[in-house]
This record gives sequence, C-alpha cells and structure tokens, in this order.
Amino acid sequence: MIRTYRALLVAQIQAASQYRVQSILWMLFSVIRPVIFLAAWVAVANSQGGQIGAYDVRDFAAYYICLSLVSNLTMSWNAYDFEFEVRMGRLSPKLLRPLHPIHYSVVENLVWKLTTIIPLAIVLVFVAITFDARFRTTPVHLLLFLPSVLLAAALAFLSGWALATLAFWTTRVHAVSTFWDRAAFIFAGQIAPLALLPGPLQTIALALPFGYILGVPAEILRGGVTIPTALQLMAGQVVWVVIFYFAFQRVWRVGIRQYSAVGA
Amino acid sequence: MTDAVVDVRELRKTFRVTEREEGLAATLRSFVKRHRKDVNAVAGITFRIEPGEVVGFLGPNGAGKTTTLKMLSGLLHPSAGEASVLGYVPWRRENAFLGRMTLLMGNRTQLVWDIPAADSFRVLQEIYRIPEGQFRSTVNELTELLELQELVHKPVRNLSLGERMKVEFAAGLIHSPSVAFLDEPTIGLDISMQVRIRRFVAEYNRRTGATVLLTSHYMDDVVALCKRVIVIHRGRLLYDGPLADLAERMAPYKIITATLHDGAASSTDLDAYGTVVSREEGRVTLRVDRQVAAERTGRLVNDLGSRLADISVEDPPIEEVIDRVFTSEQTTVSA
Repeated sequence: MIRTYRALLVAQIQAASQYRVQSILWMLFSVIRPVIFLAAWVAVANSQGGQIGAYDVRDFAAYYICLSLVSNLTMSWNAYDFEFEVRMGRLSPKLLRPLHPIHYSVVENLVWKLTTIIPLAIVLVFVAITFDARFRTTPVHLLLFLPSVLLAAALAFLSGWALATLAFWTTRVHAVSTFWDRAAFIFAGQIAPLALLPGPLQTIALALPFGYILGVPAEILRGGVTIPTALQLMAGQVVWVVIFYFAFQRVWRVGIRQYSAVGA
Repeated sequence: MTDAVVDVRELRKTFRVTEREEGLAATLRSFVKRHRKDVNAVAGITFRIEPGEVVGFLGPNGAGKTTTLKMLSGLLHPSAGEASVLGYVPWRRENAFLGRMTLLMGNRTQLVWDIPAADSFRVLQEIYRIPEGQFRSTVNELTELLELQELVHKPVRNLSLGERMKVEFAAGLIHSPSVAFLDEPTIGLDISMQVRIRRFVAEYNRRTGATVLLTSHYMDDVVALCKRVIVIHRGRLLYDGPLADLAERMAPYKIITATLHDGAASSTDLDAYGTVVSREEGRVTLRVDRQVAAERTGRLVNDLGSRLADISVEDPPIEEVIDRVFTSEQTTVSA
C-alpha cells in the first residue's frame, strides 16, 4: 500500500504542478473569510474597551490565524468532487480497479495541502505581525495539536465521504453538503470562537461534529484551552471519527448497490 | 459446466426512472408527486463463454449490452439472476477478480488527463502489484503492438482521440487481464485506426488466450474478430451462435447478383426470379428465398444464356441481417 501511495502521490504532484496558480488562489480564498471575521471582531472588541469574554484583540488575531491553518490542513471537498464523478460516470474506472476510490481522494487532499502550506504560512506570518497576534501555546499544546489536527482532518474527510456517498441515491448531494457547510459556519468556530457562543449554542456546538474539525484544534494550537480541557475535547474528536468511520462504511456498502454507472 | 469463464444465468437489471411530461404545470406537479417507471434494461439473459473465445455482443442502442457488461465487470448490481466471471461473483468486487479483468469503454478515459500515460502506467503497476520485470515486458509488448513509442510521454490531454484510445487500451490491459469486456472500442475512430485496434485485439487474444466479449456498432469489428455472436434486443437474448449461421437463421433469403452484357439490365425484366433490390447499368441485384435460391439461379443462367456475363449467390451483408433482426420482432433463436 505504501508503494501504491507513493506512485499516486508522484502522479498527483505532477498533475497539481500544472495548476499552481489555481492552488494558490484557492488557498488565498480560504484565508479571506477568517481574516474578514478577524477584522470584524477586532472592530467589535475595540468598541467595547478592547476585550470580549476572555479574548482581546491579540487573542482574536491568534485564534483566526490558527483557524486558517487548521482549515487548510483539514479541508475536504469530496462531496463536490464525488457528486460530479457519480453524475458523469467518472467513478466507474476507479471502481474497476483493485483499490478503494477513497485512496485517490486521500492523495489529492494531501497533495493540495503540501502545495499550499508554505505560501499559506507566509500569508499567516504577515497577518500575525499586522495584528500583533498573541499565542498562549505551550510545548504540551503543540504536542497535542498534532494528533488533534490529524483527528480533525480524518473527521472532515470521513464525514465528507459519508455525505458524498449519498450521491449514489440522489446524484445531487450539493444541497445536502451546502446545508452541512452552513451548519459548520455557525458551529465550527468560524463565525466566533466556540467559547464566545451564547450558552445553549455552545452546548449544541459541542454536541455536533463541526467544532471538532476547526474550533477545537485551533484553540489547542493557540493555547486557548487548558491541557485537561484539550484532552477532553480530543476524546470528543475520537468519538466522532469512530462514528463517521462506521457511518461511511455502512453508507458505502449499501450505496454501491445503488450506483447506476450513469453514462459510463 | 464449471469451465466457462463467463457464466450468466437469467440476469436481469431493472432501473427505476422518473418520468414527467413537458411544460411548467407538469414540472410543478412533479414537485409533489413523481411518476416512476421501471425500465427492464436486461430482462433475463443466459449465456456462457468458454476460455479464449472472442464473442461479439450485438444489439441496437438501448438493447442492454452496456448494462450487461457493467454487471459482468462489477459496476452494477443486478436486480435478479446470477453471473460468475472467472469463478467470482462480479458485483462483490473482490480485488482478486478486479485484478484479472478489464472493461474498456470507447468513449471513456481512465488515464490521468494532465500527465503522460507512462506515469499513469506506473500508478497502475502499483495498484495491480505487477512485478517490475513483468511490467516492463508487458509495456514493451503493448508499445510494439499499438505503436505507442511517441505517445506515452505526452500528457494525455494533448493526444488525438485515436491516439488516446490506443493508450487507453494499453492502460486497460497493463495487468494482463484474463477477461476483457470491450464496449465500442473503435467508436469515433477513423478507418485505419479501427483496423489497427481490430488487429491488436485479435493479436492480444492469440498471444494471451484472453477471453473477450466485445460490443460494436461496426460490423467490420465483429466480422474480423468474432466467430460467435450473442444478439440481444430490448434486454432479451435473440440469438447465440456462430456468426456464420446468423444470416441463415435470421435472414431467410439470399442475394443473387447478375451482371449482363451490353448494359442490358435496365431493359430486362427479372421480377419473375425474385425481388429486384437494385438495378444499375448491367447489374441486377435480386433478393430470393433461401430455399429456392439454387433453383432460381439455375433458371437465370438458362434463360439469360449468353447475355449473362457473371452471376453470384451470397448471404445478405451482415449489417442487413442485423438490421432485419432489430426491426422485426423475432422469437429467441439459439444455435
């Protein structure tokens, strides 16, 4: 399997190298939203004496920088690609080979991250200097961040695939995944750090999977949570990864029987 | 009974499709209530294919050919019936099965568009776990047979349709499959490329002993490659037997072509001998019942005497036979 991954990685890097500009533009696009929220929260915080809850302007800066990085590292766009592949019959060649189609997706995802991480880091350093970001990160936070962001990426990927697999029934998953993204917008920690959500919303957010993809690893990286809290939140990540792993397996097994191999 | 490479029993596939009439009112109604209809793409077919056979799978558009190939290659689950390919149930999609078969579709690409085919071959080598030595010799063989030398190092998107098809063939056969399902492999290709692909399939079958099930709308493909054909129409099997017997079974007539001296054909009334199909300068083509073809030919020779320059008796062209099968409702004939 390692040799297969190596070969797929080489081919994907070759293909991606043809679309360098596109990759960079997508990366910049993914940073714009957090930066807009950062600017908005900075304005709000300044109008209220420079502090909202436990966050001052420099904390907001650090949070949204961490969120941008986590967002890049966990981004998964399977639902869109997969719907297209099912609708156009492009999935068929992959199904004919002795390798689960999910592996092609893993490699595409990895390559995108590899090719965008350095330019993204440069942009984020620039933002950190501009907003004078303050990180409260300890070495233990950094140590926990690694498994946490891996769990978050796995969760994003598996939930994306579980949703995408609905395309076997509808071949129009777009509406479902858009609904999913809108929910994530509120509950993942994009619109505000999870700690600043009003009481009931915070409880709901922690019961849903979205926050475990973005907000949780971002706060661990920023050092915004205590170590015991970080471990507790990571346990939540593990639970969701397990749930979506089995959900995906189940949906795939049933869904593949529905595949109508349209046009191909 | 257990030796067949492909063994299909009462295979069926029913698709449920949504139907609605045209217009805004019908569109609005369809939001509330949808009319669904079951379409029997494959309505219970049974056949066997022995090792090394090259079988033509014929039928008009929508006959169920591609649906059958998709079931046999594991892409589709059937609604009913059974099938085994190389001893496996295809739709279980076990890796051991997928590694020994291929489905090539003339209008589909399986190569990575942006990189040269040679790099895609390397990926396939790892996916199919082909040892380096075997990989090199297969690539060399396919390169020689398909004349790929110049093509494999260009990005696939820069290849012409015919060039791409050749490379697709190589990619589809790189793991030396024992069974190849070829769906319209020459579609859209020019005549010389069609001939090359045909030669290649024949040579591949000869060299490897692979079993081939081939669909094509070009009868030349079928005539060149297949001794046996399976004809399906509206999901049902109409004929399964030697290509040579197809005309005898399905077209109960022969074609007599008489060439006359002095261009006398236009003035000679030959309607008494059979149905005149065409009448060109000096040349008359007649359709005559199979049973009386010999007797009519004898009479023509006698009656026309020295005016006759040449005469031939043949089965109708295979295209005509097939067309006749599809345009008339025939009952199942099995050779």
